[in-house]
Amino acid sequence: MTGWLLDPHLMRQRSGWSPARVTLAQLIALAAPVGVSVAERGAAQIGVLTTALVTCLIWEMAFALIRERALSWHTATVALIFTVLAPETLPLWQVAMAASFGVVFGELVFGGRGYGIVSGAAAAAGFLVFSFTGAGLATVSGAMALATLPGALLLLLGGLISWRVLVSAVAVLIAFGLARDGADSLLLVLTTAVFGLVFLVADPVAAASTQPGRLVYGGLAGLLIVLFDTIEGPAIAPAAIVFACLLASLFAPLIDYLDVKLAVRRREARHG
Amino acid sequence: MCDQGSHVMRGQTLFHDRLHPEIVFVSPVSGVVESITLGPRRSLSALVIRLEVGQHEPDPITMPMSSATEVRAALLAKGFWPAFLTRPFGRIPAPDAEAEAIFVTMTPDNPHAPDPRVVLADEQDVFTAGLKAVALLTSGKVHVCQTPATDIAAGLGDRIRGAFFASGGASGLTGTHIHRLHPVGPGRSVWSIGYQDVLSIGKMVMTGAHDFSRVVALTGPRAREPRLVRTITGASLTELTGGEALPDPRGLPPCVLSGSATSGRRAAWLGRYHQQITLLDDVPSRREPSAKGLVKRLCLVSSRPAPVIPTAALESALDFGVPVIPFLRALSVGDAETASRLGCLEMVEEDLAAVSLACTSGADYGRMLRHVLDELAEDA
Repeated sequence: MTGWLLDPHLMRQRSGWSPARVTLAQLIALAAPVGVSVAERGAAQIGVLTTALVTCLIWEMAFALIRERALSWHTATVALIFTVLAPETLPLWQVAMAASFGVVFGELVFGGRGYGIVSGAAAAAGFLVFSFTGAGLATVSGAMALATLPGALLLLLGGLISWRVLVSAVAVLIAFGLARDGADSLLLVLTTAVFGLVFLVADPVAAASTQPGRLVYGGLAGLLIVLFDTIEGPAIAPAAIVFACLLASLFAPLIDYLDVKLAVRRREARHG
Repeated sequence: MCDQGSHVMRGQTLFHDRLHPEIVFVSPVSGVVESITLGPRRSLSALVIRLEVGQHEPDPITMPMSSATEVRAALLAKGFWPAFLTRPFGRIPAPDAEAEAIFVTMTPDNPHAPDPRVVLADEQDVFTAGLKAVALLTSGKVHVCQTPATDIAAGLGDRIRGAFFASGGASGLTGTHIHRLHPVGPGRSVWSIGYQDVLSIGKMVMTGAHDFSRVVALTGPRAREPRLVRTITGASLTELTGGEALPDPRGLPPCVLSGSATSGRRAAWLGRYHQQITLLDDVPSRREPSAKGLVKRLCLVSSRPAPVIPTAALESALDFGVPVIPFLRALSVGDAETASRLGCLEMVEEDLAAVSLACTSGADYGRMLRHVLDELAEDA
């Protein structure tokens, strides 16, 4: 549809989020985790960061030129999330390949941020693990988990991620962690999962978009993480979160569909 | 029913509805018809009357208004019928339609709208007479939705009852009142009417006079002296706001809206259902990017709505118990069936003003809703 934009005087009154502001908030939230990853993994990580950023932005500009659309710069956040997930030992061409796959097939072919069905960063990380033998994802340290928290708080306060998704996913993880390894392991479970939960699973576009649906989606993601977790002991493998996120986002439209059905039925019952 | 240059009296019929000739539109003033503008498909787009001061005003004619049929006939003949709007669809009801309930809206939807209790301060009796006349039109209830204070509709029988809503935001909108008190849907229809129209009907009942005066609030950041003004419906905003606007440092004229800042529209005349005039800074036209070639193509400003990113602000901006994101998606692809099953029949444009402002897309959901409602109304 064209010509459905708001009147200019209303456009100016919009004080809430615009796509550019959403991207900016995500970049700010990601600054600390990326900083920690560079500090921990050294100069090689800067190479990974630069490669991922340049690759993603080149693809975004290419699509913007072909489609004659405005740049959203959102692929920069994909690059940053991917940088945190990718280990510094990775050859740079593999980084470029995986980042290209993630932004192009995760986001840009659908029309860009907000139109896709999975998180671009999760698609990139999934591609990396599937395609290159021996390529794993970087493990999440305690410092990284701590660095994630301020960003998570910022996104939560801004309403850019839903607490429903986080709460139900964390509840499932805690329940299984308690049942399997006891209370001592909980800290390790949460430490290894927090970055993936905040930046992959809770991505508002990939997650379910109804309020009850978000609870179901978070619970499903938590279950899948437990199911895919290959590491012995309480720690959670980063790849498990990535694949759980991809699979759960494929189920998100179904969850939404069912919830809309329920909402319609409730409505009909109320209105007779 | 009148020609350019002809003299018209206050209360004289100017034109009528094409489908329902009983619904007539009358002149709010006595004067000379200055111009008649036709729009697309032979619709009437504007009819301008120049007010003649000192002309002889018509003598008031009282009509009997004690039974339902008499009230209906009087309101139709005197041109007060267009004061009612149906929900669903937000249109003028058919002359023979029945309402399950009638909602009188007395809650300002923003802090700058006129306070109904101030407007009605000295005219309680007239307002009550109007309420009683309106109540004859329905066999159901008349909900007088007002801000929490003394019940203005107390002691008028059990069919006229007061309901209390906080002013401002969603709770001041008719859509919210209807959603809470008498939800509508396919085959269930209620009417709404503004309190100033009830007041005019009351004056007609008591004296037989046509009174189309309206108290409007002159507001907005460019208003020199924000205040209440008594004018008439359809008044020229250019004349009314002349000299009222603060000067702009860049010398731009103000942007004059009929209605509030969020749901009003840029207009030259005061809208039939509006009680507020907002003077805003004009939006300067966008500068062409000075860059050339490839850089210029990357600096494009999109003319299409941006994507909807589901944020928490969207969920709180729409208060109808619908799943917001699926509903907005249905509206933006024009899926009338889903939108109707999710409850779009309960809403009109003004109910979606807040959600349009909160959404990342910059899309005008009110316009999309009207598109969907028109489609549904054709099938209904």
